[in-house]
Amino acid sequence: MAAHEDQNASDLELVRRIKRSDEQGFREMVDRYHARVYSLAYGVLRNSEDAEEATQDAFLTLYRKIGTFDESKKFFSWFYRVALNAAYSRARRRKPITTISLEDYVPRYRDDGHASPEFAAFVDGAEDEAIARDLAEHAAEFMDELPPPYRDAIWMVDVEEMKPADVADVLEISLAALKSRLHRARLFVRQRLLEVAAAPPAGGGERRVAP
Amino acid sequence: MTHDAISCKRLILEYLVDYEDGAMPEEVRRDLEWHLEHCPPCLVFLKEYRATGRTLRMLKPKDVPKNLAEAVWGFVIARCRKEE
Repeated sequence: MAAHEDQNASDLELVRRIKRSDEQGFREMVDRYHARVYSLAYGVLRNSEDAEEATQDAFLTLYRKIGTFDESKKFFSWFYRVALNAAYSRARRRKPITTISLEDYVPRYRDDGHASPEFAAFVDGAEDEAIARDLAEHAAEFMDELPPPYRDAIWMVDVEEMKPADVADVLEISLAALKSRLHRARLFVRQRLLEVAAAPPAGGGERRVAP
Repeated sequence: MTHDAISCKRLILEYLVDYEDGAMPEEVRRDLEWHLEHCPPCLVFLKEYRATGRTLRMLKPKDVPKNLAEAVWGFVIARCRKEE
């Protein structure tokens, strides 16, 4: 049996115990999933206090609604959807979700199919740890600008390092649709990082990323 | 697929995500790699795309708040016992 199926079988055992109101079974489920749910919620809320509360909300929904879970499906996909809903519900209370047009961040091409020569070497910067950390802080802000369906895709695949097929299952979309969202989101973040790398540093002085 | 047959635009917009995911037929992958070898701008793009991924991986929260599991369990059980 593949590790994945093994995990699902073991999840289902806990699910059945929770359906019988077994509090210890629920405790084991919390131990198994709380870190992943917290991390997922953090991706949406980017604030540890809100992410903690969304984690509590997600497990409260799990405990109350476990009867509605269809055991022929993968548990983690169902529960990740519950967790995402909990996080977005908190996000809506906190601030309106703003989105941008991703079309503006697709690379431009000349008629011969080659890209315009706009490529800045932020790659060199991303290999230096201090600069990489600085870029990561910017990347976190850029994630907030993404429409939620794109942010969910890129957060789960690139930050959480989940398999694209699993993420497609969580989001209930085809693998092709997931990859399309993922690619658009990556192109957006890449372009925004290039803008940061190309911008003159605040207060003047040397450019921090090699040309 | 050669450099003539594949434009940079197609490589980047249609193939790159599958290439990075390792979900590409061997023959197409070989052609893409040939293209990358002969097209410096596409190679730079690939490096930027990968650097974007490396940057994003740094966003994963390093620490889960202490006692979170205990707090979650206590919160849920207390709420549900009260409702019974």
